[in-house]
Amino acid sequence: MPSTNAAPSRLKTTITGIALAALPAILFALALLLGRYPIGPLDVGRSLLSPIFPKLGADIPEIARRLVLRVRLPRALAALLIGASYGGTGAAFQAIFKNPLVDSNILGVTSGAGFGAALALLLLRNEWQVQLFAFAFGLLAVGLAFFGSRLYKSSPLLVLTLMGILVGSLFGSLTSLLKYVADPLDTLPAITFWLLGSLSSITWSSLPVLAFVTLLGVFFLWLIRWRLNILSLGDAEARALGVNPARSKLCIIIVATLMTAAAVSVSGVIGWVGLVIPHAGRLLVGPDHKRLMPASILMGASFLLLIDNIARTLLPGEIPLGVLTGLVGVPVLALLLRRGRRGW
Amino acid sequence: MTVQLQAQHLQFAYLPERNVLDDVSLEINAGETLYILGRNGSGKTTLLSCLAGLITPAAGQVLLDGQDLLSFGPAERARKVGLIPQMHTPAFSYTVNEMVMMGRAPYLGWLGSPSRDDQAIVDEALAQLGLFELRNRPYTEISGGEQQLVLIARGLAQKCQLLLMDEPTAHLDLSNQHRILEIVSQLGDRGLSFIISSHSPNNALAYADRVLLLEGGKVTAYGSPEETLTEPKLSAIYGIRTEVITNGDGKPLAVVTQRPIALEPKSLRDPHSPLGQIFARSKAEPQLILVTGLSGVGKTTWCTQLIGLARDAGLKVNGLLSPSIFEDGRKVGIEVVDLHSGDHRQLARLREEGSAALQTPRWAFDSEAMDWANQVLTESGASDLTVIDELGPLEFFQNEGLTAGMAKLDAGDYKVAAVVIRSALLPQALSRWPNAIIVNGSAKTLP
Repeated sequence: MPSTNAAPSRLKTTITGIALAALPAILFALALLLGRYPIGPLDVGRSLLSPIFPKLGADIPEIARRLVLRVRLPRALAALLIGASYGGTGAAFQAIFKNPLVDSNILGVTSGAGFGAALALLLLRNEWQVQLFAFAFGLLAVGLAFFGSRLYKSSPLLVLTLMGILVGSLFGSLTSLLKYVADPLDTLPAITFWLLGSLSSITWSSLPVLAFVTLLGVFFLWLIRWRLNILSLGDAEARALGVNPARSKLCIIIVATLMTAAAVSVSGVIGWVGLVIPHAGRLLVGPDHKRLMPASILMGASFLLLIDNIARTLLPGEIPLGVLTGLVGVPVLALLLRRGRRGW
Repeated sequence: MTVQLQAQHLQFAYLPERNVLDDVSLEINAGETLYILGRNGSGKTTLLSCLAGLITPAAGQVLLDGQDLLSFGPAERARKVGLIPQMHTPAFSYTVNEMVMMGRAPYLGWLGSPSRDDQAIVDEALAQLGLFELRNRPYTEISGGEQQLVLIARGLAQKCQLLLMDEPTAHLDLSNQHRILEIVSQLGDRGLSFIISSHSPNNALAYADRVLLLEGGKVTAYGSPEETLTEPKLSAIYGIRTEVITNGDGKPLAVVTQRPIALEPKSLRDPHSPLGQIFARSKAEPQLILVTGLSGVGKTTWCTQLIGLARDAGLKVNGLLSPSIFEDGRKVGIEVVDLHSGDHRQLARLREEGSAALQTPRWAFDSEAMDWANQVLTESGASDLTVIDELGPLEFFQNEGLTAGMAKLDAGDYKVAAVVIRSALLPQALSRWPNAIIVNGSAKTLP
């Protein structure tokens, strides 16, 4: 493939940066506007300000105010956070695994979380217990993969990947077992729908943990972003450049796993975002993680907001997110790759 | 000049009791270039990893400016010693500028990102190596020579005083090798030191201040190129005959390798032919011919033909020949023949059927026949041609088998000796008998 020798102009870089930063804001605003119940932009703005200036909310229908503040706003915030989390952790995992075909699920966090959620849905049926179980089992799965890989001496990265796949399969089978024994009229649909991913059950109470973990995690990934370049060269070369790869990787795995578990536990399984967003980011800003990390975070947030807006509005009923990410993401990525100038 | 890096008695093993490095010592002064030569698997890369502090030696230590290398933290060490690995393709297509920028890693904290000052240092390194115009090209799309230059530029951006390079010219064409090594040499003039592992004795002759020859993890020679890159030493480590071409003043210019000689049948009677010359020279000093080649090419047949020619010329022949015993077209045993008396015994038979292919050794030797064969060699009197067929791993590594043959050769107790040996043992044979002549034992050379 031919490639331009000219430096990307400062102007172009700036425009890309502004566009990437503006996109989540625009989609966030849209998320508040769109929905089955029509609410005008002015009313949305007043509703948002009404907790601080009660006078502003006086002449808006109470149902509109409630919809904006209690349903659309937490849901849009969740989409923003979860998308940012998937985009950022995907880019980080692709760097440390030196592999553009992985995301933060490679170590089994999603399968573990899915099993935890299914177990809670089967036995307990309480919203926050489902979240807690999903979070805990997500961490447990990665912990098993990580300590399992310590038993072997050779090629730690390969063994870790293999262990992640093994643990993922194990929890996948266990989840299937739970589905098999679940009540087909009641529990089974709940488990299935959870596994397809949705933001429809988000309330303000889901947000504090998610926001805390995600914001701290994203900040950490943003800080460590340049070092990902070094880690992506492999352990020996990283050590020759004065970097301790084991320590850096461990930190990244812990942070990314906490972030992913927090995201999965409130939204269910939304695959694909962490895998695809870094690719789209590379096509836009190149492989240097100094730019790729912020780009992946912003694009992940935008993508999930976009998908959730579609999921809420396209059909009378909600479309599961896990279904839409693939349906929208595949053609978008295929188009991007066709236009791409260089490999990753 | 001050000693910059000093390695003392390094020892390293990946597996217990298999030393990859064994008592390796070296030192390098500021601005010097040291070449490490050795066959594949001789420990060159491991030695570089030790010197870079990436692996910890089991014994011995590396001193950098007089201080133990292991006392430095990783980042501090990387500011002093840079390692340029063998060329490889990174998973992501970073630009040239981004690759070189990675050399700034030891100066940035682990959450740090490069600043404008770092970019200035990178720009300087790029400009110094003529890479500035390439800076926005993907590293994966430039040529091999340019990639190597980028890695050197990364070493410059690392601002260390010593750069270790693992086979920097391995995949490069002649002009790119020259270009890279000239740049390395000019950087050396500015005080940068290099330790370079290489497969090219010629590059070492042209560019090295010192050379270290490594064989099986041991240093077999260490010193100036003139001292180390000599015919016997090179022949011994590479297991091939080499010739060092010198200019009028005796200064070595180039190392050329020689193929095994193919000897003509008529040549024994002709004093100007290679074989005739060997026999002529044997009057002054013993001449050792190593008959080599793949299994089954006819090494024993070649010896039989040589013996016939020698007897035709009225020369006295003794020693041993080991023809195979065939049964239904399958080699089932080995015979040993005393060339002086014509007596023969069965020396070995193929081990039992079934697991035969899995058994090591495949041959069951008859110890009485072996004793007899050794006796034949010990008691044989003076002769013009001594044939020993053959010397193998038993003799070289275990001090068993035809030990009398080894003793005879070590003592120089022969005029012309033709010894059958498998190609894999040539390095051992040449380090033991550096003046041996290697002959292609393919039977077709003597119809």
